[in-house]
Amino acid sequence: MSFLSLVGIEFQKIRRSKILLLLLAAVIILWLPSILNVQMNFQMQAEGIAPEYNFFIQGFMGMTWFMFPGSMVVATVLLTQTERSNHGILKMLALPVSTCKLCLAKFAVLLALAAVQVLMTVGMYCLSAAIVTRTQNYPFLLPLPFAFKEAGLLFLSALPMLAVYWLLAVWIQTPVFSIGIGLALIVPSVLMINTRFWFLYPFSYPFFVTVAEYGRLAANLTTAQVEWIPWLPVAFCITILCLVIACLRFGQAERR
Amino acid sequence: MSLGLEWKKIKRTGFLPGFLAGGIVAAAVPVLNMAFRSERYLGLGESPVKILLDANWQMMAMLNLLLWVLGGCILYHTEYADNAIQRMCTLPLKESRLFFGKFALLGVMCAAVLAIEAVGIGFCACYWFGMTEEAGTALLGCFGYALVLSLPTGAAALLIASLCKNMWISLGIGVICVFTATMLPTGNFGWALFPFALPFQTVTGASEAAILIIAAVAESGALTAAELVILRVRRSFT
Repeated sequence: MSFLSLVGIEFQKIRRSKILLLLLAAVIILWLPSILNVQMNFQMQAEGIAPEYNFFIQGFMGMTWFMFPGSMVVATVLLTQTERSNHGILKMLALPVSTCKLCLAKFAVLLALAAVQVLMTVGMYCLSAAIVTRTQNYPFLLPLPFAFKEAGLLFLSALPMLAVYWLLAVWIQTPVFSIGIGLALIVPSVLMINTRFWFLYPFSYPFFVTVAEYGRLAANLTTAQVEWIPWLPVAFCITILCLVIACLRFGQAERR
Repeated sequence: MSLGLEWKKIKRTGFLPGFLAGGIVAAAVPVLNMAFRSERYLGLGESPVKILLDANWQMMAMLNLLLWVLGGCILYHTEYADNAIQRMCTLPLKESRLFFGKFALLGVMCAAVLAIEAVGIGFCACYWFGMTEEAGTALLGCFGYALVLSLPTGAAALLIASLCKNMWISLGIGVICVFTATMLPTGNFGWALFPFALPFQTVTGASEAAILIIAAVAESGALTAAELVILRVRRSFT
């Protein structure tokens, strides 16, 4: 079976899960306060950031801080629980398909869900920017290539985090621990981005990238900038290591 | 009997160690904060408990909130996972007993977690500030208050979990609610009454605290009443 058809089957499994609705609800709640409190964007002289950029970056900071990692924890719960209820995983493991491929197919679905939520955020940004442009008589909508560039960067920086979440979901069978650890690891990311060792903490990557962009856009604000050299190799190693362990552990508990 | 039964059900779910670990992690927040940057907080001239809560409570409350949401999801997941709920519904018991049993259990666990956190804050107050008798009473008051404000969150989490058969939906709604609570503007009294925003509040003034306590009790009652109505309606349609 080709990898693509496996991914297709995984998508069929979550067709009726209503996960897209949940992801969309989170995105709507993200942008609503920005629309309601739009005046605050005009009072950012101290930071020296243009209102339209502030509108954009504040929304994305809200997303990367808690909503995006939280939603991804929920997505991993979806991917593991659909199999475990009614012992679907046992039937899957009985198929003549490599478990490594099955594991990676599920991870691909997780990546797709992450990409969908990032795209939803951009789409909702465009919509809410269009609304406030009308209400405030000020052009809030930034050029779309800029928005997509930021969103793409955010998605790429989230890959190690997603790999760690996937490892947690596959390795730890008890849902309390896999979900609890996943959610609890989000909370200290605010502290971690202010330390020198932020690159060792994959859960803070998307938030760090967004805050770094905030520092670049605001003239009077300096935030730590991305240093590619320790970051890229570390992120790459974390991703690969987590995926390899996840592939090895996938279905182990059921095969015993 | 209900509480004892619920206690047995959580045996192999990891609920108990999960909650205790969550409490210890949250209690470690003020200790680590003081260990690394105590110079920032010493000599502020306020009561030690207030300084410690101002510095750490947002993060601790966030951890608590996530724990309550997760707890609610797990308590009902044990029922839904292998259709155990169908057997529960055939017993000559009211379905609402299930909710009350779980609510009582979650309340007990909230109290345990908050007690662990109180020990953490108390340790900081003793070690770095030289705690006095008054601080001890203040600590007891603060955490009793936190427990009352946690009840609506627990009730709301259980209500959501009892309605959704699939754990990712109840967890997803819970995570969205927690996210909404963090997005609400601070300092606005009306928004503070949102069940998921209540645990973030600390004691500010006696009159305000009294209103919040009354609101928390009323919200818990309203959410419980809503659960009873929903159960009755659902029963007549399934």
